[in-house]
Parts: sequence; structure tokens; C-alpha cells
Amino acid sequence: MRAYDNKIIFAGPVGAGKTTAIAAISDIAPVTTDARASDMTLNRKDTTTVALDYGVLMLDEATKVHLYGTPGQERFDFMWDILSHGGIGLILLLDNTRANPVKDLQFFLNAFRDMLKVAPLVIGVTKTDVRATPSIETYAALLEKFDMRPPIFEIDARSREDVKKLVLALLFSIDPGLES
Amino acid sequence: MREQMLKSILSDLNGASADIEASAIISSDGLTMAALLPQDVDEDRVGAMAAAMLSLGERTAKELARGELEQVMVKGDNGYILMSYAGKDAVLTVIARREAKLGLIFLDAKRAARNIAEIL
Repeated sequence: MRAYDNKIIFAGPVGAGKTTAIAAISDIAPVTTDARASDMTLNRKDTTTVALDYGVLMLDEATKVHLYGTPGQERFDFMWDILSHGGIGLILLLDNTRANPVKDLQFFLNAFRDMLKVAPLVIGVTKTDVRATPSIETYAALLEKFDMRPPIFEIDARSREDVKKLVLALLFSIDPGLES
Repeated sequence: MREQMLKSILSDLNGASADIEASAIISSDGLTMAALLPQDVDEDRVGAMAAAMLSLGERTAKELARGELEQVMVKGDNGYILMSYAGKDAVLTVIARREAKLGLIFLDAKRAARNIAEIL
């Protein structure tokens, strides 16, 4: 694999942990674009990503994975298009404590449908310690309806090991021969 | 009340020069606080774009050791878009004609940004 080929996109609703996940696995100081929140986001956290997050994960000396995080709010959907250009895979983070995470899943599948036609998907469900449902089976059942069977994990976005598991699962679905 | 005051700053600004076509004040996370924009423009999207551009500009200025960001300017075939901070948590966006005298626009925008920062 050549370095510039490995661009991975992190998407998902506000507060799912995209910025946190990239900070957790990046081998460089991540580039963040946080602004003080003034919308509904305030119920969940003080700041929110307004352009992108960027980090780099070195899998080994030759394999560099560029990590791009997107803003969660729909008004930033133009950034979703810009950032997903050239991406080889999508990591979708879902937050189990949001009002309707299954609807979130449906929404983001639709928003990133062009990318998902050509690139694989991996799903990470966060905050399952706070709320255990929907279960992974519930998400899988919805995805099955769209004829999709992506890997789904319960993760802690602050854990380097957990987030790395998502990235490796994604790379593995692109190239099953990849040794992890 | 606050929106009215912000709007009156914007209408003063738009009136200050015939070259200023539209303007808006946006929170730094991309929500419109007050706007005098053409009707066919989606305020939410413009707001989000201004917030993203300014935030990226800020990071780029820091990365390349240019200090604190003052403004981001976009030039197209049909004119200019100027974005500058009005205080820490708001962005002033000014849309100007192609023929605009930039120096004057900068000056007007700076004055308006200062007035906005005082209100917020």
C-alpha cells in the first residue's frame, strides 16, 4: 500500500467521539478545529468541530494512515463531501446515548451513500456503558435490510486499542491479505 | 433586541459602500446571528462555511507562524468574500463586488467588527 492511498474518514453525529477517537490513535499532535458551541450541542459538550480533525496513524514504518474527522451537524454536510473525496474507507461512530441512534445510522448511511458504493464501512458504537441499547444486533438487522454487513464494535473512543481495532477492521476489509 | 442591534450594524455596513452587497454575523460554530443576505442564500450553510473557513485559516496561520488570524479572503470571478472575527466567538462575513476597493472594504469591515464585538 502506498502512503497517499490510506485516507480514512470518521463520521457520525455530534458527540459520538470522532475528535476523541482521532486524538486517541494519532501518532502526531492532531489538527483540530473546535469552536465554542452555541447550538443544541451545548447539551452534550462545550465545543464542536467546525471544519475537520486530522491525525496520522503509523501502522508500521511504511504504512501511514491519514485520519480525517468530519463535523457532526448537518449544516456542515459540505465538509462531508470535501473530506470524503479520495477516502478508502468510512468509520461511522454512533452514540448510544442519543435520542435515536438507529435513525442516526440510517441518516449517515444515506449521507455517505456515494462513498459507500466504492468504499467499505466499519461501525463503532460508543457510550454503550451508559446505555446498552440499541444492541449490535439491532444495528446489524437494519444494515442487513440495505444488504450491508459491516463489522460493528462497541468501543470507547478514548481507548487507543479500541479505535485501532476499527481502523484495522476497515483496512482488513479492503485488503484481507493485510497482516495486522 | 441584540439581533436588532446587530442588524443595524450590518445595514450601516452595507450602506457604507455601494460595493458591499451583503453581510452576516455568524457564531464561531457556524450559526447565523444576524444577516442581510440575498433571499436565495441558505443562511445555515453560509454560516457553517464561514466558520469552517475561519477555523481552518486560524490553524493554517498558526502552523505557518503567521500569528493570530485577522481575516480570510476569498476572491472569485464575481467578487470577494471577506471573513473576520468580531470578538472571539463571532464571525463577520462581507460579500463585495468585483470592482470593490479592498482597502475601504477592510476598513469598513474592521469598524463593524469592533462594534459587533462590543455588543456581544
